[in-house]
Amino acid sequence: MSRIGVFVCHCGENISRTVDVERVAQAAARLPGVAYATDYKYMCSDPGQSLLKKAIAEHNLDGVVVAACSPRMHEKTFRKAAEATGLNPFVCEMANIREHCSWVHEDREEATAKAIDIVKLMAARVRRNRRLAAITVPVTKRALVIGGGIAGIQAALDIADAGHEVVLVEREPSIGGHMAQLSETFPTLDCSQCIMTPKMVDVANHPKITLHTYSEIEEVGGYIGNFQVTVRKKARSVDMAKCTGCGVCMAKCPQKKIPNAFDKDMGTRPAIYVPFPQAVPNTPVIDRENCTYFKSGKCGVCAKVCGPCAVDYTQQDELVTEQIGAIVVATGFDLYSIEPKPADSPIQGYGEFGYGTIPDVIDGMTFERLASASGPTGGKILRPSDGKEPKEVVFIQCVGSRAREKGISYCSKICCMYTAKHTMLYKHKVHDGQAYVFFMDARTPGKNYDEFWRRAIEEEEAVYIRGMVSRLYQKGDKVVVMGSDISVGIQVEIEADLVVLATAVQARKGADTLAQKLGISYDKYNFYSEAHAKLKPVECATAGIYLAGACQGPKDIPDTVSQASAAAAKVMTLFAKDQLEREPIVARVNERFCAACFACKKVCPYGAVEEKEIRDRQGNLIRVVASVNPGVCGGCGTCQATCPSKSVELDGYTDEQVMAMIEAL
Amino acid sequence: MIDLAKKIEAPATIDITAYAGATEAIRAEAAKLLTEGAVAAVIGYIPGRRNGTAIPAIVTSPEKAQELIFSPACVNNLALYLTRAKKEVKGKGRLAVVAKGCDMRALAGLMGESQLKREDVVIIGVACAGVYGSGADRDAPLAEKNIARKCRECRVHAPEGADVVAGSLPPLPEFSPVEAEELARLEAMTPAARWAFWKEHFSRCIRCMACRSLCPFCYCEQCICDRNRPQAVEATPRPAGNMAWHIVRAMHLAGRCAGCAECERACPMDIPLNLLNRKMARELKELYGHEAGLEPKEKGPLNEYREDDDQSFIK
Ligand SMILES: Cc1cc2nc3c(=O)[nH]c(=O)nc-3n(C[C@H](O)[C@H](O)[C@H](O)COP(=O)(O)OP(=O)(O)OC[C@H]3O[C@@H](n4cnc5c(N)ncnc54)[C@H](O)[C@@H]3O)c2cc1C
Ligand code: SF4
Ligand code: SF4
Ligand code: SF4
Ligand code: SF4
Repeated sequence: MSRIGVFVCHCGENISRTVDVERVAQAAARLPGVAYATDYKYMCSDPGQSLLKKAIAEHNLDGVVVAACSPRMHEKTFRKAAEATGLNPFVCEMANIREHCSWVHEDREEATAKAIDIVKLMAARVRRNRRLAAITVPVTKRALVIGGGIAGIQAALDIADAGHEVVLVEREPSIGGHMAQLSETFPTLDCSQCIMTPKMVDVANHPKITLHTYSEIEEVGGYIGNFQVTVRKKARSVDMAKCTGCGVCMAKCPQKKIPNAFDKDMGTRPAIYVPFPQAVPNTPVIDRENCTYFKSGKCGVCAKVCGPCAVDYTQQDELVTEQIGAIVVATGFDLYSIEPKPADSPIQGYGEFGYGTIPDVIDGMTFERLASASGPTGGKILRPSDGKEPKEVVFIQCVGSRAREKGISYCSKICCMYTAKHTMLYKHKVHDGQAYVFFMDARTPGKNYDEFWRRAIEEEEAVYIRGMVSRLYQKGDKVVVMGSDISVGIQVEIEADLVVLATAVQARKGADTLAQKLGISYDKYNFYSEAHAKLKPVECATAGIYLAGACQGPKDIPDTVSQASAAAAKVMTLFAKDQLEREPIVARVNERFCAACFACKKVCPYGAVEEKEIRDRQGNLIRVVASVNPGVCGGCGTCQATCPSKSVELDGYTDEQVMAMIEAL
Repeated sequence: MIDLAKKIEAPATIDITAYAGATEAIRAEAAKLLTEGAVAAVIGYIPGRRNGTAIPAIVTSPEKAQELIFSPACVNNLALYLTRAKKEVKGKGRLAVVAKGCDMRALAGLMGESQLKREDVVIIGVACAGVYGSGADRDAPLAEKNIARKCRECRVHAPEGADVVAGSLPPLPEFSPVEAEELARLEAMTPAARWAFWKEHFSRCIRCMACRSLCPFCYCEQCICDRNRPQAVEATPRPAGNMAWHIVRAMHLAGRCAGCAECERACPMDIPLNLLNRKMARELKELYGHEAGLEPKEKGPLNEYREDDDQSFIK
């Protein structure tokens, strides 16, 4: 390119405040290969883009450098504008003088000098740019949803209703997630099971949805539109095709005393079980760790009693590979517990609350199970230690949340609302009971949310105490709650029958491992990161992967469902096209010089390098060289860095370009 | 494995009559392979024109195979002829190669780098007690003063993984460990002194590229040092370019160099190239527990990232 235009943006004042943009434009005009340079207040605005287009036409430009913000922000914008004038979009590049310069410097002189250097670099690169053709790849119109909580269910149903195939992978034996465990839900107090179960059944019956429960993601390969996902279907020990869900096996299993995790270990279940009666699918699994047959080879009762002979002790884990175009991650959350944590963990337990050893100190989800009609007490509020009905219940908010000294600084967002709900459910069931709530402040934004909270206080007579609890200890059959009421400045001590902790919402254990398989990023708490906090809240930075629900951060059901539908809409947008255009920033092998060491093949994280045979006209093999599949190459440049003879280079980032950039300084 | 007891009692010179047995065995094996048609050619050594020398040879008939020899003059690493770049050799068909223990390591390295398939080559290993150092007196028996430096501390006298092993080892004397001492001296230097040491050596380099021509791992079709668009390494023998060339050489061979010391032998300027190779090898051994050429490896340590990699050197 020998007639480059340089356009220096003020970004309002974002750049021009620290960088003398006029001087940058003047310096740019004198650079080799630059035919035209100017500055403008907002290059990305409509008049800014028009200015660019006009200049390309008037000055017959063959390359463009826009010195402005990050290419992540506007590279597409300017490439499109350049393309509209007939220019190849890939000869238009951005010089980032905002994030890399004006925002991080104070001295105007020095910042201006640096901005000029950055423009020099990019002009040197554009001079050696090649006119690249966009690469098109086909789109597999089949979505994978990971996690079958309400988020995953909603996303799967939306995508399937739009006519696309969906593969839903759930780790547990049944879909449902946390919502299946809830009793009634704020802000309307409708029964969670009643609104949830129909959706679960819809998933099971939907002709477009393939459901893999008791399954996990083993491996993810490929890229947007063309992922290959291997799913490990754990051995259920029950043949899904044969089982009629009659439940005889569960009734006859002699192992009955296994704590039921679904009921927060309050009830028990047999070794062959479905986690809860409304489970989808309604096919039991054998918990091999607790099954007598698997432990000692004796028993085998379930196999004997099963009419259709569905029990199969020899079943093995099965690996299935699915071709997938888009992925929605909806793996939800875990609840923080006050138990002691490993020494190297940044997150601490609560010694002052007895580290979880006081039986009548429970968490919110345990309370949900107590209040649930299908729970272990049949919906009666009975405390775990002696099964008595508690008359004084203390609820403590922000346990773990907003507690920097415990290692979590964020707000869990849902606890204010569910604690208010808990006080009401309690009052509805124990009319002569009294609920107390220790809280820092009430965070109840949301439609009808504040009204709901006020109702807990004004109509259901919960006593809210603004302050923190410093200690909990057992005294006789009471739990003593020592706290402070900061609104009046006094110490309070309550002898409670039951204490309910609103513990923090945390990322799933192992969320980081899944993220590494998927190649998506996560924050320091292991919540998955969206591509942009405001403008791309459901997209991952990795193309073709979307987020739904609490795996991205604490969320209540309305937010979760909205995000799930948004993620589904993004998938449908992707599936609306048959072909996908992608940036042609891919590696290319110089076959003449490739020595076929295949170091590149070994290091390529995308598996894009193949061995290619070069034959003469008679078909005799002349040599084998490396070859990059442009559809698979992620443009990371690892091969280029590895190749000892530099026989493979990334288009747009060739050694020649990079060296020229260095030399331009 | 070397019998240590034998080593201590052994005389200070090596009885080179043992090499005659190796010669016989190589000739017999080569003739057999060629007669059977199992290979198209055997890469081995024949006597050089001057007395006491040997040169590499590619023999294609059983008669010619009778010219093959093995002696302390057989210094070359014949693995060099098996890289893909040596098309005229590989074009002949299936090959057999005579390999000392140190050469075996290069063969294993080449297999790991897709240059060579194990099934495409018959390896005639030789039990080698040592070879002459460069410029050594070749009339005297092999002893302290004329044995190659690399052979003094050799741990692969008996090659492992060959198809056949020719000859047997004579008793091996203990030699002074000059290589280990040299490496210890290098490591004892301050970084500044070490930099000055290499700078001085590299400044003498005349860029004849003999070291590269003899290295079995320098098989690139075009070396990055010969590229001119863009030029990564200045081609003329001037200090900056010399330094760049030697850094590229050291880095490209790190974790791959088999320690045959052919580069050092070839260098007309007596630059201690193998000292640098050995230093790099030691670093990789300490950092990643990696030793080159003991077996064909899928990935070398510099092409691989593991979470438990030692990263303490990143400061
Ligand atoms: C005590 C309590 C009370 C609440 N009350 C209310 C309320 O009244 N109203 C309200 O709006 N919200 C309430 N919530 C919040 C509500 O539970 C969440 O908003 C909702 O469950 C989030 O749904 P989700 O699908 O994102 O996550 P989850 O419900 O956690 O579902 C995630 C699913 O993914 C599966 N999974 C996880 N990892 C993997 C993996 N690696 N592979 C495959 N599958 C995986 C899990 O097994 C699970 O089925 C309450 C929460 C708590 C803790
Ligand atoms: S939602 Fe309320 S109780 Fe929960 S962490 Fe946030 S402030 Fe605390
Ligand atoms: S690393 Fe370079 S030389 Fe080796 S196979 Fe790849 S492109 Fe060819
Ligand atoms: S740039 Fe190279 S290493 Fe990276 S994905 Fe493409 S081929 Fe693989
Ligand atoms: S053989 Fe010696 S002089 Fe020649 S290039 Fe190598 S190091 Fe330099």
